Amino acid sequence: MTSHVTDARSGGRWLGGIGVAQEESWAAPDTRRWLQLGLAFIWLLDAVLQFQSFMFSKGFSQMLAGTAPGNPAVIAGPINWSARLIDQHTVVANGAFAVIQLLLGLGIAWRPTVRLALGASIGWAIAVWWLGEGLGGILNGAGSPANGAPGAVIIYALLAVLLWPGQRDRPAPFVAGRFTGAAVARLLWLVLWGSLAYLALQPATSAAKALSGMVSGMASGQPGWLAGLDNNLAAFLAQRGPAAAVVLAVAGAVIAVGVYLPRPAARAVIAVAIVTSAAIWIAEGLGGILTGGGTDPNSGLLLALLALTYWPLADSRPAATRSESA
Amino acid sequence: MAGQSWLADTFAGIMIITAAYCVSRLVVARRQHRPTDFRVDGVHVLMGIAMAGMLVPRLRVFWAGGWEVVFGVATAWFAWLTIRDWMANRKPRSQGAVSHPPAHHLQHVLGCGAMLYMFLAVTSAKAASGGTGTSGMAGGAARFPTLALILAFGLFGYVVWTADRLPGLATVAAFAARATPVPVPAGAASYASMAAQASGDAPRDESQPATGRVPGTPVSPRLAACCEIAMGVTMGYMLILML
Repeated sequence: MTSHVTDARSGGRWLGGIGVAQEESWAAPDTRRWLQLGLAFIWLLDAVLQFQSFMFSKGFSQMLAGTAPGNPAVIAGPINWSARLIDQHTVVANGAFAVIQLLLGLGIAWRPTVRLALGASIGWAIAVWWLGEGLGGILNGAGSPANGAPGAVIIYALLAVLLWPGQRDRPAPFVAGRFTGAAVARLLWLVLWGSLAYLALQPATSAAKALSGMVSGMASGQPGWLAGLDNNLAAFLAQRGPAAAVVLAVAGAVIAVGVYLPRPAARAVIAVAIVTSAAIWIAEGLGGILTGGGTDPNSGLLLALLALTYWPLADSRPAATRSESA
Repeated sequence: MAGQSWLADTFAGIMIITAAYCVSRLVVARRQHRPTDFRVDGVHVLMGIAMAGMLVPRLRVFWAGGWEVVFGVATAWFAWLTIRDWMANRKPRSQGAVSHPPAHHLQHVLGCGAMLYMFLAVTSAKAASGGTGTSGMAGGAARFPTLALILAFGLFGYVVWTADRLPGLATVAAFAARATPVPVPAGAASYASMAAQASGDAPRDESQPATGRVPGTPVSPRLAACCEIAMGVTMGYMLILML
């Protein structure tokens, strides 16, 4: 009996968490699948955050309407319209939003629906980017890498595209290039981090007290350790705001071009991108999720997940080709 | 922070249904001599009832402090099982002890630990506010919100991980097709039977009474995984409400 069980486990048919046997056709997650599960995790977190009491109050629709000012009329009009609609039907609308996000998270995690959920998440993310985030503040001059620009939710859509499980993978030195190809994936990375570098030099970030004010504003309502961290960071930036903005812009530019470098240098740059993303997340106060009023974890966590999809792999061949040659 | 009452009612309803289903699993397993993890199903029953009571106070069934003791013991028990399995897995296979991967019990350590945390947090918050809370979650702002978030992250991680493996779980029909009666002891040994059953290597035990419809066929593993998912999402929701 003992040896039979051992054999079943070594054959990959044992499910650790639930403790029962797997079908033989089941394959252990590869790197891309783990990253998809990371995306599913964040959608699930988003959904549960959307179930918080604050989201069922008028404060939620006011928060959405607050992204409209300063945007062109063609952008602001639909934002105001949707905010009014949500204001009139707060409970139904917010309940529906939360359920949609829950289904997206579980749909990505459940293999039979992964394509459907990833596809739906792209449409949903674009709609929220416009109607819920005002295009991340990139058109009204309020966007800064430290407040979530160019919009946390657009990174969900980007991740869904880059992690799409295509019928046939292309050879790429990182997971993000398996579906779109390495050239397109590198271009998307260049645009994203290039835009962060550009936004770091805009007045919303580079003005004397801009970064300091933004970070100290995130400290309100946070637990002691995070409030202390943000307050200390804000105090540090109070005298060095413009210099810090330049450092952030240079870091963003280096990270943007880093994916074009040879593997060892690219790895170093991706590691810097992960550290920078963590710093951005701290500056964002973890998206306010510890305050009971955060709708999502904001951009820092997603930038870190995105960076992992660009981590240079030892073998650039698609998984299928690798298994064939083995 | 109190959640929306209709939402609390909905989650409480899901928990009661889940608990009732887990009771039925235990009954079916006992009456039909079919394997299931009695410990896990049992703790799911307790969790379902406890969470329903936290969400909707009129559904409370225990005295003050009772659930803390229950989940404190359960956490320590699953932690001991995790350590035991970890130690057993370190031994060379030739020594041949049957054991689960340590992760199997770790998720139940996390779940029971989260329940214990929630009860302790609600109790301390009510004590601080003079016991004026009206809802099960009212006044439940966590004293250590970062711990609540870490627990919620862990639970969401397990939800996603379980959902990923769900389609790969052998169905009851697949088990039944390969059914050979095997001994069905309670607890850990039932997993050994189930793994051997699915691999088609289970030894035939003619001494086992063939009571029930399909002896040796486990009670739906996929629905057990769905219970894990429902419990994880609900518990994560409650922890997030406590931030």
